[in-house]
Amino acid sequence: MNWVKKLSLVAVASAVLLSTTISGSAWAKDDLKGKITVNGSTALLPLTLQAAKEFQKLHPKVKIAASGKGSVTGPQAVKKGIADIGACDWDASMDVPGFKAFEGQVANKVAVIPFATIVNKSVNVDNLTTEQLKGIYAGKITNWKEVGGSDEDIVVITRSFGSGTRVNYQAKALDGGDIVKKAKNYKEVGSSGDMKTAVATTPNSIGYIDLTYISGTDIKAVKHDGVEATVENVINGKYKIWSYGYYMTKGEPTGATKAFIEYVQSKKFQEGSLKKLKFIPISAMK
Amino acid sequence: MNLPAQNTVPRSGSAADPQGQRRQRSRNFRAKLVDRLFKNYFLFSILALCLVLAMVIFFIGKTAILTFRDVSPAEFFFSFDWTPEEERFGAALFIVNTLSLTALTMIIAVPISVGMAILIAEIAPAWLKKIIRPLLDLLVGIPSIVYGYLGLTVLLPLLREWSGEGLGDGLLAAALVLTVMILPTISRISDDAITSVPKKYRDGSYALGSTRLQTIFKVVLPSASRGIVAAVILGMTRAIGETMAVVMVIGNTPQLAKSLFASASVLTSNIVMQISNVEFESTWNYSLHMMAFLLLLISFVLILIIRFIGRKGEA
Amino acid sequence: MNGFKISRQNTRSLIWDRIATGCFYGLGAVIMLLIFWLLFTILSKGLPQISWDFLIKLPEEIDAGGGIGPMLFNSFYILALSLLISIPIGVGAGIYMAEYAPNNRFTEVLRICVESLSSVPSIVFGLLGLAIFAEYFDVGLTILGGAVSLAFLNLPMLARVTEEAVRAVPNDLRNAAYALGTTHFQAIRTVVIPVAMQAIITGICLVAGRAFGESAVIILTAGLSTSGEMWDFNLFSPGETLAVHLWYVQSEAIVEDARQIADKSAAVLVFVVLLINLVFRVPLWINNRKLKK
Repeated sequence: MNWVKKLSLVAVASAVLLSTTISGSAWAKDDLKGKITVNGSTALLPLTLQAAKEFQKLHPKVKIAASGKGSVTGPQAVKKGIADIGACDWDASMDVPGFKAFEGQVANKVAVIPFATIVNKSVNVDNLTTEQLKGIYAGKITNWKEVGGSDEDIVVITRSFGSGTRVNYQAKALDGGDIVKKAKNYKEVGSSGDMKTAVATTPNSIGYIDLTYISGTDIKAVKHDGVEATVENVINGKYKIWSYGYYMTKGEPTGATKAFIEYVQSKKFQEGSLKKLKFIPISAMK
Repeated sequence: MNLPAQNTVPRSGSAADPQGQRRQRSRNFRAKLVDRLFKNYFLFSILALCLVLAMVIFFIGKTAILTFRDVSPAEFFFSFDWTPEEERFGAALFIVNTLSLTALTMIIAVPISVGMAILIAEIAPAWLKKIIRPLLDLLVGIPSIVYGYLGLTVLLPLLREWSGEGLGDGLLAAALVLTVMILPTISRISDDAITSVPKKYRDGSYALGSTRLQTIFKVVLPSASRGIVAAVILGMTRAIGETMAVVMVIGNTPQLAKSLFASASVLTSNIVMQISNVEFESTWNYSLHMMAFLLLLISFVLILIIRFIGRKGEA
Repeated sequence: MNGFKISRQNTRSLIWDRIATGCFYGLGAVIMLLIFWLLFTILSKGLPQISWDFLIKLPEEIDAGGGIGPMLFNSFYILALSLLISIPIGVGAGIYMAEYAPNNRFTEVLRICVESLSSVPSIVFGLLGLAIFAEYFDVGLTILGGAVSLAFLNLPMLARVTEEAVRAVPNDLRNAAYALGTTHFQAIRTVVIPVAMQAIITGICLVAGRAFGESAVIILTAGLSTSGEMWDFNLFSPGETLAVHLWYVQSEAIVEDARQIADKSAAVLVFVVLLINLVFRVPLWINNRKLKK
C-alpha cells in the first residue's frame, strides 16, 4: 500500500523535475553573463581550478565551471559555443601538425609549460640526444644498449595522437619526428597521471610528461642534448622543450570572461599561485 | 497466461443496502481506474526506455553515417589498417579484438560467477550467504578507475613476470580485470534466479535419489536457465561497454591481438582514447561514432546468439 | 538402508558430489580471498588517514591537505537525483515487460533493445548528455545534466533486473490474488512486488553502486569543478563527484599529496557503497522479520 504511494510520489517528483529542466534552461539563458565555462586541456586544469577558486572569491556572482578532456576539445567547445574559454596546449588559431587553425579565435597566453623525457628508475641512461630520441620513437632504436644503457628492450610509452603534450613533445623534442606504433613494447596512455604510473611501474620504459608531475624515486627525468630539464634552463633559453598554454576565446574576450583571463595573466596570479603550481610565468620568457 | 478476474463480486453490502452498494461500485470503479492508469504508466516507462535507445541511436547514427562520405564501407569493415593520421580508417581489427576480448572474458567469468551463484544459493549455509552476498555487491561499487589502477600497478607486474614480456598489457590483462568487474553482476543475478526455483523441484529430485550435484545440474540450473542467461547477458554487455579500466591495461595499440600479451586496442578503448583528441568535423570523429554504433550492433548480435544457445539448453 | 545395495554408479555419484562440493567451496574461498584482498588494499591505504576534516573541506590545488567536501556532497546529490528519475521508469518498464507485455516477437525485440542499451559505453551517454544539455538547452556543465545522463545509464540494468525479479514470483500467488477478485494492478501491488522486493533491491543496490563510481559520464556532463561551496543544492551548478575527483587526482592533479588523496577518495567511495548496501537492506531485513512473525 505504502509502496504505491511512494512510487506515485516519486513519479510526481520526477515529473516536476523534468518540467524544471525545461523552464530552468530558459532561466539560465538570461543569467549566462555571470557564468564562465572552461573546457579543454587537462594539463592546464589545475591552473584553471586554482584561478577559478581565487576569482570567485573576488567576484562571488561569477560562476565558473571547468572540465577537461583533451587539448583540441578546448577550441572546439568554443567554436560550438558550449564553452567560453578553451584551454589548449598549443596556439589553436594557427595550423599545427595534425590540426587546422580555428578561424576567428583569439589565443591568450596564460602560462609556460615545460616538458621532460622520463624513464623508469631501472634505466641507467641519463642523457639522450634529439637524434637518439627520434630513433627510439620511430622504432629504429629498440634496445637500451644502443644509447649507452644495459642490454634491455626499450618499452615506449606515449600519449595518444592529438594530446597536447604529444604535439609539443613531437615538435620540440623530436624535432618534428614521428612516433611510430610498434608491435611490441609499445603502449599509449590517456593522461599525465597514467603516464607517470605506467613509466613508474614498467621496467625499461621511456615516456614524456609535464615537468611539474615529476616527483618521487620511481621515475627520473633525463637530460636532453646534455641540458637538464629545469625551470631555470627554460627561462635562460638552454632547454627548448616547452610551450605556452593558451586560453582560446571566440573573438576578443568580453565581460566576465575577459576579467577572468586578465586575472590569470595578472602579476599577482602569475607570480603567486601559478609559480607554486610549477608553471612558469609568461613574463619570464623573452 | 492468467487473466485477472472481472472485479464484480460484491464483498460487502446487498440489495437491501443501496448506499453500501453504491460505495462498492465506486470503489470498484476507482480500482479499475487505477488499474488502467498504472498499466499505461508501465507502458509509458518501457516506451521512455526505448526513447532513450532511440536517442542514442539517432545521436550516434547521425554523426556515424557521415563516415561513409569519405571512407567506403568495405574499407571500414574489412581493412585492418587503422592509421587515421594518414586517412586510413580500417576498423576490422577493433571488431575482431572486441570479439576476442569478450569471448575470453566470458570464458573466464561465466564458470566462476555461476559457480559462485550455485555456492551461495544451493550449498553454503545461511550465515555464509549473509556474508558473501553483500561482499559481492560491494565489488560493483569499486569505481572502474580503481580497478584500472590496481590492474596497472599490481596485475601487470605479475603478468610481466609470468610471461616474460616487457609490458604485460593485452587481452589477458583486460579480460582478468573485466572478470572481476562483472563477477558480481552475473553471480548475484544468477543467485536470485537459482534461489527462486521452487523447493518442490529439488525435493522431487532428491526423492528420486539424486545427489546434490545431480540435482543442481539436472534440475535447478535448467529451471533457472532463463535468469542465468539474463545475468550472463547483463555481465557481457557491461564487459563490452566498459572503458575506463580496460584502457589502462590493454596497451592501446591499434593492431590485431596475435597473442594474449600483445598490446592491443578494442572498440571502447579506442573511442575513449581518441574522441577527446579529434576535431568534431572530421572523418576521424565520424568513424569513432561509427565504432560506437558498431558496438551496439555487436552486442545486439551477441545477445541474440546467447539467447539462442540459452533456449537450446532449456529445451 | 538395510538391504539397499549401493550400486557402483551411486558410489561414483556420491564421490562426484563430494568433489564438486569441495570445488565450489574452494572457488568461493578463492573469490572471497580476492575480494578481501581488494578491499584491504583499497581501504588500508586510505581509511586510517581519513579525518572529519578531509570529508568536509574544500579541495586544494597547490597546498597539501585538501578535502573532498563538495565532491562527496555532489556524489550523493547526483546519485539521489538520478535514482529518483531512473527507479520509477526502470522498475515500471521491468514490470511492464514481466506482467503486461504479450508473449510475441515484438516483446522479444523490446527486451533485446533494453539489453543492448546496457552495453552502450558510459562515454556515449556522456556525449549524449553533452549534446542535450550543453548544446541543445545551453545550460553548460550542470548537476542536472549529470544526474539525467547517469539515469540513462541506470535504466536498462534496472529494467532488466526488475523484470527477472517479477517473473520469478510464482504464478500461484498471482492466481490466488485474482481469485480474491483483485484487478491486475492490485495483484501486482499487493502480491507481486512485495515478493519480488528483495531481488529488486539487489538490483537497485548494484545500480546505485555502479552509478556512484561512474566517472566518464559526469566528466562530460557535470564537469570537473564544483561551485566551491558546501551544500549547494542548485541544480545548475557544476557538479564534480567523488569518482570524478578520484580520476582527476589520479590523472592530472599536481598537488603533492595527490596520491594520498586518491587513496583516501577510493577508500571513501568503497565505504559509501558499503553504506548504500546497508541502508537499502535494513528495511528489508526488518520487513523479513515481520513477515516471519
